[in-house]
Amino acid sequence: MDKLFQAAQAALDALLALGAEKASVRAASGETVELNALGGEFTLMRTLLDQSLSLTAIKGGRRGTAKLNRLDGDAIRQGAEDCLAVAESGDADPAWDLAPAPETGDFVSGALTADPDRLFDRSKELLEDIGRKFPHVIVEEMITEHKTETEVYLNSVGSRFTNRVGRYGVDLMFSGHQGDTATSFFGSSVSVPDLEKPFLELGTLANDLEAAERSLVSETTQGSRMGDILVHPDLLAEFLEVAGELFCGDSALIDGTSLWKDKLGQPVADPALTVYVKPLDERICGGERYTGEGFAAQDYTWLEGGVLKSFMLSLYGANRTGLPRALNTDGALVMAPGTKTKEALIAGIADGLLVGRFSGGEPSPNGDFSGVAKNSFLIQDGKLGCAVNETMISGNLADMLKNIGGISAELVCSGSYVLPWVVFRNVVISGS
Amino acid sequence: MMDLIIPADFSSLIPAGEQGELRAQLNRDRRVMLLSGSPVANQRSEVSGVSARVCRAGSYGFASAPEVSGEALRAVLKSAENNAAVLDRHLNKGKAARKPVPRTLVSPAVQWVDAEQKAYLDYLRELDGWIAGLPNLVSRRLVVFCDSTEKHLLTGDGAEAHTAIPRCYVYVNLTAETKEGAPVELFKAFGGFGGFDDWFGDPAALRPEVEMLHAQLMDKREGIYARAGKFTCILGGELSGMLAHEAVGHTVEADLVIGGSVGGPNLNKVVASPLVSMTDFASEAFGKPAPLPVYCDDEGVEATDVPLIKDGVLVGFMHDRESAARFGQEARGNARAYSFSDEPLIRMRNTAVHPGKDRLEDIIASVEDGYYLINTNNGQADTTGEFMFGVTLGYEIKKGKLGKAILDTTISGVAFDMLKTVDMVSDEVIWSSSGFCGKKQPMAVGLGGPALRCQLTIGGR
Repeated sequence: MDKLFQAAQAALDALLALGAEKASVRAASGETVELNALGGEFTLMRTLLDQSLSLTAIKGGRRGTAKLNRLDGDAIRQGAEDCLAVAESGDADPAWDLAPAPETGDFVSGALTADPDRLFDRSKELLEDIGRKFPHVIVEEMITEHKTETEVYLNSVGSRFTNRVGRYGVDLMFSGHQGDTATSFFGSSVSVPDLEKPFLELGTLANDLEAAERSLVSETTQGSRMGDILVHPDLLAEFLEVAGELFCGDSALIDGTSLWKDKLGQPVADPALTVYVKPLDERICGGERYTGEGFAAQDYTWLEGGVLKSFMLSLYGANRTGLPRALNTDGALVMAPGTKTKEALIAGIADGLLVGRFSGGEPSPNGDFSGVAKNSFLIQDGKLGCAVNETMISGNLADMLKNIGGISAELVCSGSYVLPWVVFRNVVISGS
Repeated sequence: MMDLIIPADFSSLIPAGEQGELRAQLNRDRRVMLLSGSPVANQRSEVSGVSARVCRAGSYGFASAPEVSGEALRAVLKSAENNAAVLDRHLNKGKAARKPVPRTLVSPAVQWVDAEQKAYLDYLRELDGWIAGLPNLVSRRLVVFCDSTEKHLLTGDGAEAHTAIPRCYVYVNLTAETKEGAPVELFKAFGGFGGFDDWFGDPAALRPEVEMLHAQLMDKREGIYARAGKFTCILGGELSGMLAHEAVGHTVEADLVIGGSVGGPNLNKVVASPLVSMTDFASEAFGKPAPLPVYCDDEGVEATDVPLIKDGVLVGFMHDRESAARFGQEARGNARAYSFSDEPLIRMRNTAVHPGKDRLEDIIASVEDGYYLINTNNGQADTTGEFMFGVTLGYEIKKGKLGKAILDTTISGVAFDMLKTVDMVSDEVIWSSSGFCGKKQPMAVGLGGPALRCQLTIGGR
């Protein structure tokens, strides 16, 4: 930590000495211990040391940034000169700024020291569990890791933050195989602060492995119709992140392309929908503790009962648009549980799909999307049927958020979100 | 050590009889963005370090450190050996050492030539100045992105390579509104292998192509939704390149074959129309330099072309040294690492469908009722070969003539089924190289193809 402090202070001093009126610096170091398996067999063990120095300077309303991964005096001087040169090349924009008052904080979370033997044991246990409980699954790739990150943030206003985070993670890619039949690939990942629980008990790993085996029996749907879709929490996170970017992010609001640009405080979604952005939630692993502009991160409510309570603007975006900034710049989405079980939600769907993964193009700025429903299953008359092939879903993200058909009582904690399964009504489902 | 050159005597530190590599690497990138005339991103990044990988009896150990020095090289080598030993102790695979690769020595074809950040911004400002005057635009986003990966590699069996892949692009993204007020946008990347000055002297040189993009966007403003269902389509070169990379290339990377991809059981079988051939090119393609030439990979293997499909038959996989030994085939330089802290993975280089003999105009004229699909913003494919591509620019075809533009849609299919429906192939290959392939690590790759007439499923609205 001392080395990071020294580097950060030296970089901040250098930026100010070169004429920056406002400046911020983040110095970080990290170590990763990682195990890799391919085709269900361990292949590689890695140890990665890393460090970085991120510099930001504002001079005459012009802003520059530079990033390097050396912390020695020569590199710091060069980085500061580059950063100022970048700033001086730009146009003045009074929207660039830092938090107006100094804020401080020291944060520590998770296991800061790796236990490689325990990590190997948990990883081996996962491969053995999969082999025993899901015999038709081939693990194409498994990556398990322990990662520690230490960072120091200083700025010219006087803000000072330190953050030390340790976490374990597992990332699986797999598919179902039986004879000549193979399923699509499935991905499942989770981050946790420790190794207390077997990996198979975390996130949606067991659910997803079971889904891979169930997908071995599939059919191609015919024709096009409107139906309801029950979406996996991973996919819900994707949909919400894209909606955040398209309707509430800096670019969309500065550009004026956001459909919600005039909707702050007004209903934009189904009254059943309440979504928080909570990096400080204890279920979120390594969530943001401070923003790059020098604010201490705070949790906030994005949508409450369908009403837009906050945009997702940085300080810069807020200054450009005259709208209020968000209280953090993280993507830690959290929802409260619903009242019905996932099974009850399925029972309430007359015709639709359970959608595990969406393979689609980027939605248009107006929210239109279409793509293939992957790792997905037919739901008819309230019963979960076989997997579907070559089936597409399409709709409009803004419309979809207004048509919630149910929220599950089960919550999934992936380490980066806490979300339920959610039913969206009236989505176009197209077969071949 | 202030530069990337590892002293030759360091190769003797790698344990004798084991596969091992030492690598020093520097990744640079520069990015400037103007959003409707205002700079909103202006940044430079330089990331350097060293890594070592060692194989002990089939178990690999890897380590990296963010410092380019003799001390760091010794430390990462020791850590990598320790990791290989730990894994070997647990697994005891007992595999024989790899066959040595021939000694290679490769120098970078093009050196990174840096430009001042101001040069990027001045260029964009001038470009933006006249784009702003084009009618009916609600916003415009212009980006300069330049990056470079420079490496020096020493291997335990005597290979040495010093390589560089610099590339530079200007991205132009234009947004307009339909008469209902819904935003529509189009995007195009210009540039390629080399430095900024190699591609971008006078901004006026881009004018014809940007005006074409604007005209297409104006068509799209008046566009209609494509009908959902299966149609005769012409897949433009940008999309056929995406198909070659995403839906075929990944399924014939040997690590994914080991994981159960559709490529495995189809080797030496008919997977496409006899009109279709496909190759992963190393440094040259169709008699010209490949978009992003690769001369040597990060295991010290000299890069040569890998034929994937020949006249409709699947003929090969892409390998690293480990998988080549497992399959009894030849490694041809596909083991590539993105950053100093990344291990080599099996990656494509420049993957393309070969051109045919048909003229694009004749292909369009041959379609009674279908679509010509030109640009994409996104593509994904499965290990089964099932693919989905976003289509951002396309036109309906009625009675052999182009009709109205279509709004954003998605196409999907199964590669080895869809490729069997190809019955016309254009004589011109369109390459692209501005993005990254994602597979644990990002990677700069080239992808290309001619226009293909085929049967495709369109998602419609």
